[in-house]
Amino acid sequence: MDFNLNDIFQLAGTIWQATLGLTIEPEQPDAIGSCGRATVACVQITGAWNGAVFLSCPADFARRAASIMFNVAPASITVSELQDAIAELVNIVGGNVKGLLPDGCHLSLPQVVEGADYSARVPGSRMIGRVAFRCDSHAVSICILEKVETKTVAA
Amino acid sequence: MTQIEKPKPALDAKIIVPFINATREVFKRMLSLETEICRPLLKTEAGPHYDVTGLIGFSGSLIGSAALSFEEPAAVSIVACFAGQKMESTSPDFADAVGELANMVAGRAKRDLAGDASITIPNVIIGKSYSIAALRAFPCLIVPCRTKAGDFAVQISIKQMAAVPNAGGSQT
Repeated sequence: MDFNLNDIFQLAGTIWQATLGLTIEPEQPDAIGSCGRATVACVQITGAWNGAVFLSCPADFARRAASIMFNVAPASITVSELQDAIAELVNIVGGNVKGLLPDGCHLSLPQVVEGADYSARVPGSRMIGRVAFRCDSHAVSICILEKVETKTVAA
Repeated sequence: MTQIEKPKPALDAKIIVPFINATREVFKRMLSLETEICRPLLKTEAGPHYDVTGLIGFSGSLIGSAALSFEEPAAVSIVACFAGQKMESTSPDFADAVGELANMVAGRAKRDLAGDASITIPNVIIGKSYSIAALRAFPCLIVPCRTKAGDFAVQISIKQMAAVPNAGGSQT
């Protein structure tokens, strides 16, 4: 399955504008490095196509997004609200990506990881597209992974 | 004096038991390890926290996620039993092995769970300082497990979706 990365960027721009009222600017994926505390959210797609959509951002951006979504001052945002906000964003992105796929695909619930010193890997998948952008000076990226079909040993 | 209400069951036993059986079976068959199942507990925002987590999502008639979680020394030891050789937790093969273990347990449990559910590809998180968000509408049950190679936990946060009646359909 091939995704047009420009379409994904446009999609992200529409979602960010509609849900947060914020604009995004394109960024080179290689320009995004480690940013201290980070939030990574993922929705997975199963069925006619198998893969995952990851959204990665600094915790500060997650706090800003939650502040807008819940209409609460950034300093008052709880970790749960911060995670809920990013879960909602990745759920909307994943739902729109699913709309580009053939019928018969299911979206999983979002999984959100927040912390300062961790790595997230999806064994058995390959990255087929990555879009990076800046929003309010924060570097955000969206990755689309596709499951690599391999023979597995049945338990 | 405060009255303590009897807590409602966090998850249906019909969902928990297949995971317990699957864990026992996979660890016995693939790692030659007997697994002792300890008293389950409800996950709170405060933790517990783990170093290594293999997370599998469920979609379709069951939605939510299940995870195998370990402290790093136990993960290294258990992966060595699985792979037949010791691996550093920084190695990509280590993450592959954790993901495959989680996939096997979830896949085996899925066979005994009612309904038509799909499991996702595994997501493996490794680190010393992270937390995985618990979905508010989905209580997460932690089932602590003990083996000779180390302790780990099965985390289950899954709900059965209500069946949608087939419009116009009837059974005789």
